[in-house]
Amino acid sequence: MRRPGLTLWLLLFCFPLCAQNLKLERSIPFSEAEAVRFTAISPKGNFLAAACKDARVRLWSYPALELKASFDLVDERIAGLWFSRDGSLLAIAGNRGKVRIWTLPSGKMKVELSAGADINALAISPDLNMLAVGPAERPGQLWDLRLGKVVASLPTNFSGSLALDFSPDGKWLASADADTGIRFYEASTGAPRASNNDFLLEPFATAFSTDSKYLYVGGADKTISVLDVLSGRVVRTLPKQTFVVRILQPSPDGMSLVAAYADEHSFDNPAPVLVWDLAAQAVRTTVLQEGVQPNGGGFLPDGRLLLTSNGKGRTEVWSVK
Amino acid sequence: MAPNGSPLSRREVLERCLALGTLTIASTAAPRLVLHAFAESEYRKPTPRNELGPFYKKKAPQNAMLRAPGDPGMPLSVSGRVFNTRAETLSNAVIEVWQTDHLGHYDLDGYRYRAQLPADSSAAYKFDSVLPGHYPDRVCQHVHYLVIAPGHKPLVTQLYFATDPVFEGDPDRNFGRDPLIHSRELVRPVLLKGDPQEMQAVVNFDVVLEML
Repeated sequence: MRRPGLTLWLLLFCFPLCAQNLKLERSIPFSEAEAVRFTAISPKGNFLAAACKDARVRLWSYPALELKASFDLVDERIAGLWFSRDGSLLAIAGNRGKVRIWTLPSGKMKVELSAGADINALAISPDLNMLAVGPAERPGQLWDLRLGKVVASLPTNFSGSLALDFSPDGKWLASADADTGIRFYEASTGAPRASNNDFLLEPFATAFSTDSKYLYVGGADKTISVLDVLSGRVVRTLPKQTFVVRILQPSPDGMSLVAAYADEHSFDNPAPVLVWDLAAQAVRTTVLQEGVQPNGGGFLPDGRLLLTSNGKGRTEVWSVK
Repeated sequence: MAPNGSPLSRREVLERCLALGTLTIASTAAPRLVLHAFAESEYRKPTPRNELGPFYKKKAPQNAMLRAPGDPGMPLSVSGRVFNTRAETLSNAVIEVWQTDHLGHYDLDGYRYRAQLPADSSAAYKFDSVLPGHYPDRVCQHVHYLVIAPGHKPLVTQLYFATDPVFEGDPDRNFGRDPLIHSRELVRPVLLKGDPQEMQAVVNFDVVLEML
């Protein structure tokens, strides 16, 4: 099976949503060439970026939906796109390892680099100085964007990193690796600090808690584990589901965690998006509706969760109640 | 053995034979060139790499019989040896394999169709299973491999079957139908043995590791 990954919400294509929990907010018509493959919403909620079938990324303002810019990787298929935590940078990675980062809202390219292979994971540090990338089947790389060079390798026993995240306080970098290890590094140097080798199956998603004390990890074990950052130990787990965990993102207030799941047998099969109440350790909202298949999304500063999906000739933006 | 106890490479043996006069090179070419050509002929190309996942599971049992009695699907027997690029056998290698059942389902909760196989003294390995099934997100039938040996780069790869219907009998031409198959070498011939009622697929798959 092809490795999951990088294109975060791309894999949500197959997830139906629950109508009762959704409200249609906006709709963007597109031509066949401009058809959206997957999207990302900036953390401030002011931009919607979409990777399109014509190998371009289109950037719209949100909610006005004015087309602000169009980006590409010239000769590579777009494998993923990521905003920095403050929304001032947009990184686009390709299937042969090219990464380009643009400054927003100017649309000026800040840096271009090559990681050498299809990018599985990417993260930008909160201070915008460091970039972590996970090329397929190779060790992850920590780049200093001021120097434009790799300052540390993120070695694994074999294969590479499947998910990367910097802590909101900027101190830590976490990698979820294909050898099933979870590793913590100093964000500025890449020096290893802690690790967890207790997972048996591959982790596909990681996200730090908003206070930077914990790391949420989910993957093929169908469970969301909460790891203490300093020790690397699992301090609790959320109830196991019947689907594998593909994407994790905490809400800005730290009270909720959205998790996108997938059916292990086929990503075309329906699987839910769950919003977890972290205090109660219980599911608060289940998002599931036939015919509406999300391909991106994210939390806004006001706590609203937006999801995008493709309708007939248009991309639709939904808010989750 | 070398002074440090490690086995000599073929090139080192040849060099010693030359030095000791137990081997004479009858050639107009310089002995060094002939030696180089001889040694190079023993070079084995590393097995092409292929993606790991996403359903690798560590701590698989050491059990070469992956197929349980009564399991549906065509019985499959895979064997091979583990070498390095100097054509030396790696008897200390460990081969991990994992695959779907005949319907294309991975076992995530347990260890069905997963095994860890220490190579024997001749660096050989063997396991019995069933031909893995197809599933919607992946074009071809395949068995995942992770091969580890001290002093060598871990090898992550996949084994494919020339009889896969996807290739329509012509894997040379059609192996690219699965976008994850980057090398024709990984598509192995399949020998069908036994009575029509009890047919078994037999495959040989040697793997070659790169040295660190």
